[in-house]
Amino acid sequence: MSVVAHLPRRAQSLTEEEAESPPAMELTGRHRMSEDERTVAATIFDEFHADPRYREFVLGCLNCGECTTGCPAARFYDFSPREMLQIAATGDATTLWDALQEKIWACCQCYTCNMRCRFGNDIAGIISVMRELSVIHGLESTRRTLAPFGRSLTLLMTVGTQVSSDMIQPDFFRDWGPFATGSDQVWQVTPEVMRKAIPLDVLQTTRSSWEVSVQTSLELFRIYEETGVLDMLRGLDPDLTEMLVDIVEERREEFAEARERFSSELAGQRGPVATFTG
Amino acid sequence: MLSASEIRKVVEERTLHQKGTGKKVVDVREEMERLEDRGEILVHHIRPENRPVATTTLFGWTKQIPTDRLWHHKSCGQCGNIPGYPSSLLWLMNETGRTYLNEPHQTSCTAWNYHGTATSNPVALAAVAARNFHRAYETDHFPLIHCGTSYGDYKEMRKLLVENAAVREKVRAVLRKMGRDLVLPEEIVHYSEWVHVMAPEILARQQHPVRGIIATVHEPCHYYKMVPEDAIYDDRVYAGQRPAVPSGILLELGATVADYSTWYDCCGFGFRHILSEREFSRSFANLRKIRPMVEEAHADVAITSDTGCVTTLDKSQWIGKAHGAAYMLPVLSDVQFVALALGAHPYKVAQVHWHAASAEGLMTKMGIDWNRAKGEFQEYLRALKDGARPELLHPAHGEIEQFFAINKGQVLPDEARASTLNPTPPRSEGRGAD
Repeated sequence: MSVVAHLPRRAQSLTEEEAESPPAMELTGRHRMSEDERTVAATIFDEFHADPRYREFVLGCLNCGECTTGCPAARFYDFSPREMLQIAATGDATTLWDALQEKIWACCQCYTCNMRCRFGNDIAGIISVMRELSVIHGLESTRRTLAPFGRSLTLLMTVGTQVSSDMIQPDFFRDWGPFATGSDQVWQVTPEVMRKAIPLDVLQTTRSSWEVSVQTSLELFRIYEETGVLDMLRGLDPDLTEMLVDIVEERREEFAEARERFSSELAGQRGPVATFTG
Repeated sequence: MLSASEIRKVVEERTLHQKGTGKKVVDVREEMERLEDRGEILVHHIRPENRPVATTTLFGWTKQIPTDRLWHHKSCGQCGNIPGYPSSLLWLMNETGRTYLNEPHQTSCTAWNYHGTATSNPVALAAVAARNFHRAYETDHFPLIHCGTSYGDYKEMRKLLVENAAVREKVRAVLRKMGRDLVLPEEIVHYSEWVHVMAPEILARQQHPVRGIIATVHEPCHYYKMVPEDAIYDDRVYAGQRPAVPSGILLELGATVADYSTWYDCCGFGFRHILSEREFSRSFANLRKIRPMVEEAHADVAITSDTGCVTTLDKSQWIGKAHGAAYMLPVLSDVQFVALALGAHPYKVAQVHWHAASAEGLMTKMGIDWNRAKGEFQEYLRALKDGARPELLHPAHGEIEQFFAINKGQVLPDEARASTLNPTPPRSEGRGAD
């Protein structure tokens, strides 16, 4: 089947000849899409419109611009929630594809546009749907955008918290100044001692936001396995995903050993603590 | 800015429009009750022992805020970056004799990641929410949510789970694989709502006057923009035209809450931006928030009630020196400010030393002897370095809890279905339980 047959609306208006030998540069100045890219763009377009959230989030546009006047990203980027809503509303696979390359990542997800929209559109929500599709299809632009998130994704997937105090390293957060990152220099003790001075035992760690019990972290990983999140991540970064699977396998072994070690204490327990095996 | 009557008009118009499109603006709690009656979900009810206080939401609905027997749902950014935020809250609960659990058996809501990288999906987010809800339920402590994003996300997930049977069944199937069931709390409650309704007890304990302190409030977007109908409003705060929290408690304490032109703007956190595109976050925070707060309102302190907002507004200021604009306005959560006003130790409890913009000038204005407190804290650090045991706000967890979410007299779903009898109350961790 020709690529053209997959492309809805605008793309379908291309003739077979145009699709076979498209111009090197389109009038918009955008880089010419490869055939593979057109195929992926068409698939994403179909999936976007088939997502149940599409009908709920995209209701129409009065062109009032209220969304954009309040948008923080619009002040600093070539980005406008009104444009994003209209891209979502129009039947154009290549325009959607273009927006996925960079624009979707400018959004701050503050929901100011949603609050101001007289039509009740969920603009922040529809941008999230676009982002999900760019992750699911492992777009190269998405890989580049999310490349700095390896450490925080590792934390998130293995213990369910996004940051840890040992991530706030002076070299990386130099712009935060000495008091935000150099507590050991300021107070002449190690970061571990600084954490000990927090009067909540579960926060006395540098490795995650708080200590998370092994059972809890394994339950979380089960959620990721069962709901397709692990597969999403595999499409984006297979190496990271395999590393995560290895980490979790070790934790499962640790959990099984702990169940033997604490068998007498667990004997009278009921509910998830008694039945969950990792 | 819209007046209260204009807001109501917009709400009515939106309701009419959404009725026409099949999209509803209804009180999701009513549908939740119907599902409970049909046995499709369990509801974690607020009970008399939770000592609830009634408030009013934007839509005029009554929202009960439980004040006792609470399950602290921590915030991942808060605990990694600004630990004085949860420690001040738990200290305040001890001071007011409230019981609580602060457990390792919880994950974050994972919504920071979702809003930053989209490497999740609604079913996963709903399952994460439901797992945490179930854990709170089985301990018989009502969830109190520390983070604005978790609060907004959980309300979105509650709505999704109530209105979408297919998602509900997918989530239930996942939960059953870990021995859990689908439980939704009767209310989704943000800690600042707890602070707001605790005002009488807080005022009774105030030690440091704050009259003369000018505070500017940053209203966390995810508190009131994600699910607007459920945020609480109070006619005594900006005539009910802005959320009641966190401004209300500042006014009650006697501070001047000063307005500024960009109050409606976000902080610049951006979820992805604060980690990988900080040029944006720091520019937005400095130019659109801190500068107006200082130059228009002459603020002594910026107060907010969300993890990302405190982090962004606080950490983004130092780099302003590069442009001759190092305002270094102290940025605190409402509960840190309350703790300081009530005489909490600035370093051991409020943990102000984690903040990039120093709060020492503010503390001087509040009449707090921070120099002495700082000396005590340095002594304490030396003692910890030499192996002393840390001072804690509640008893430490045992080794078994590093591994297992152990039974604390929990309510099991099957038992709850079989009987409406109250479960045996478990023992809380909070000092007030003793």
